[in-house]
Amino acid sequence: MDIKKSQQDLDSVSNDTKSNSIDRRDFFRKTAALSVGALASTAALASEEKGDPAILEPQEWGTKWGDPVTKNLYGMPSKYEHNVTRRYTKLLASGNFRASITVTPIQESSGIITPNGLFFSRSHGGVAHIDPNEHRLMITGLVEKPIVLTMKQLKRYPSVTRTHFIECPANGGQEWRGPQYNSLQFAKGFMSCAEWTGVYIKTILEDLGLKPEARWMLAEGGDSSKMGRTLPIEKVLDDAMIVWGQNGEALRPEQGYPVRLLVPGWEGNLCVKWLRRLDFASEPWYCKEETSKYTVLKPTGKAIQHFYANEVNSTVTSPSPEIDWSDLEDGDIVEIEGLAWSGMGTITGVDISFDGGKNYVEAQLKGLVLPKCWTRWSYMHTYKKGQELLLTSRAMDDAGYIQPTVDQEILKVGVEAVYHRNAVETWKVEKDGKVTHVEVRSQLDRKPNGELVIEGKA
Amino acid sequence: MFKLNKKLLISISAATALSLGLSACMESAAPTQSAAPVKASIDGGVSYPVVDGKTGPYYVNTQFQGVKINNGRAPTHAEYEEWNSDIMPDGTGLPEGEGSVEEGEEIYEAQCVMCHGDFGSGGGGYPALSKGNAQELHESLTYQRIKPDTDGPVRVFGTYWPQASTLWWYIKDAMPHPLTDSLTDDEVYALVAYILNVNEMEIDGQEVDDEYVLNREKFLKIKMPNVDAFEPKIDGPNGPENVRKYFANPDNFGAQKVKPSERCMTNCQEPTAKVVYIQGAGISDFHPPLSAVRDLPVEKKETNFDAKKAYADNCAMCHDTGAAPAPGDKAGWSSILARGIDTVYKNGIEGTDTGMPPMGGSSLTKEQFKTVVDYIVNQSK
Repeated sequence: MDIKKSQQDLDSVSNDTKSNSIDRRDFFRKTAALSVGALASTAALASEEKGDPAILEPQEWGTKWGDPVTKNLYGMPSKYEHNVTRRYTKLLASGNFRASITVTPIQESSGIITPNGLFFSRSHGGVAHIDPNEHRLMITGLVEKPIVLTMKQLKRYPSVTRTHFIECPANGGQEWRGPQYNSLQFAKGFMSCAEWTGVYIKTILEDLGLKPEARWMLAEGGDSSKMGRTLPIEKVLDDAMIVWGQNGEALRPEQGYPVRLLVPGWEGNLCVKWLRRLDFASEPWYCKEETSKYTVLKPTGKAIQHFYANEVNSTVTSPSPEIDWSDLEDGDIVEIEGLAWSGMGTITGVDISFDGGKNYVEAQLKGLVLPKCWTRWSYMHTYKKGQELLLTSRAMDDAGYIQPTVDQEILKVGVEAVYHRNAVETWKVEKDGKVTHVEVRSQLDRKPNGELVIEGKA
Repeated sequence: MFKLNKKLLISISAATALSLGLSACMESAAPTQSAAPVKASIDGGVSYPVVDGKTGPYYVNTQFQGVKINNGRAPTHAEYEEWNSDIMPDGTGLPEGEGSVEEGEEIYEAQCVMCHGDFGSGGGGYPALSKGNAQELHESLTYQRIKPDTDGPVRVFGTYWPQASTLWWYIKDAMPHPLTDSLTDDEVYALVAYILNVNEMEIDGQEVDDEYVLNREKFLKIKMPNVDAFEPKIDGPNGPENVRKYFANPDNFGAQKVKPSERCMTNCQEPTAKVVYIQGAGISDFHPPLSAVRDLPVEKKETNFDAKKAYADNCAMCHDTGAAPAPGDKAGWSSILARGIDTVYKNGIEGTDTGMPPMGGSSLTKEQFKTVVDYIVNQSK
């Protein structure tokens, strides 16, 4: 499938635009050989070529009025960016898309911030549209002073602003038994990263007074699913927040407007949206989403519960199956770029492999490196036309973890875990520059005692 | 009396760890001058306590600490009770009531079967509630699909869930999906009884057969087959420290720890590791289709609205499964139509408390929705 050819591409391009772009391609082909020298001085300009119509022919937007500034009082992306959207697959949907997910086009992301309209969206009873004037937050249980707050009162607490990713622990969870998605958006896009503003729960508890026997906190949403999760007090008193701001504006309804819980680095599911209730107790609750789901079944038949943190992880974001290297020429210098993240701490380094994780070299980190946050990394590469590559990235964090190989991870937790998959990911660059998603792994076998082993390994 | 203050906030978890004699997380607990992480956290990672006015790279206003900001008001008893719907494994929060398997089956057939399938067998993207005898199928939890035609583990209520309290609470709060919080306590007991019945479970040695009547006392005697199979143990005073200990060992959860200087840089794969490709087309049902092209969006043409297709997409899941009258079911529709077509439109658009979600849960316009109603009604006169 040539995924760059959308239906829109075939149907909609006007004749004018089409001939324009053909002219332009011709021009680039003819002048490519001249390009390096041509920039050096005006004396070296290629005078015999007519040139690029994009420069030579006046465009409508360059001669006529644009929109009045009074149009679009809330701004929207350029209409040419219409393909940059969240996407969904029916395979991960139920309930008329009310208990479902749409995922972020990280193949198109730049930097470490996801715009609010593209932030991945998961709900259990649909996206609730809550009137902030009629919404309350109640804090009860093992506190000296239970309270109920209006949203205005909540925002009166001193605020903090932090940049953190939120990742669904099922990110990549369809691929325990082999690659499934030839797409970065679906293979790794169950996550996004934003700057959040809200209040530390510990700041509110200064006044309420937590009773010493409180060991757990229940957070519950006010939407139709009443999604609830249990958190240990240690995290509540560390960096758990109630947030109302996202990238400088109010949360979107898809992110739990007017308020959600933010549990930095931990399972996205713990970041309860449309938050209405916190309750403190000495025993844990056993909510549906921490028993029937979000538990990791191991080959022993035992399941890990309260598996909080999203572990150290990384992916190559450029190239990707969506935006590949099929337009590169032999010898082109190209930046391989990617994301790394860890819910257990801060990224300390990323290595890149060109042979599927056999041998690695160090890549470089770029820009801000923040705790429990997307971190950009990059490596400069000279493209050799016709050469197949297996691009694998591997990240480390300051808690001392490094991403496992696929074999290392599945030998320990098997292939039925669903959640918390963080083994290295591999893109194969084909001879023609197209990119496909593969995994580098061994065939497993089972000993009579049930232990998983690599088939044929002495 | 316990009062929360700044020092306690910082040291509360460390103190708990010390009192239990757990040393693993304390080895590196000495305060340092840098903003570097100083102690192992409950999740196996690191945390960033405030040092010299900063947490990690972030400056903090240290005036926050120890300040009691008096805000809000105490909830009334009625407010607290209205929202305090959680049910804990020991029965805290579980109301009195009773319901029979027979009543449960009736409610299930009317309000649940269209999504959860016959006898809870699943379908339509909704979870299955049973796959047969829970005790027997519980053995399947060690299955691993490591080869193409091996069976996987069966993870449904009876085989997998550790606590029955979760089921009661979840049904009461969040079911039926299009109209939650609409069942009485007795109805919830009945549905729970029915789900125990289709999972072929026992309570206190007695089979939950078709005649069984469940109440609070019996409910609290349910022992789930998989109750002991979850790790780490989170109950009791040692719960949080058990979690800390569990995640301090990377082997427990498939993680790898290494000193950066000692990480593998050459020959890092098993010799048996091969490149594995997506089988067939893999999962490629993407909406909208993948595209990285910058062009103008296609103007959506006003096409003729297809009421039949809209019915299939939005209504058939209930109206074709017996949960609600189907198109052509003259007997079923006659009593509804007797109320007049305007009432039928209104009830459809606004929803009813007998299970019809507003607009059938669709995102059709009101005019389109009325066209679908007409499509159904015209076949049913």
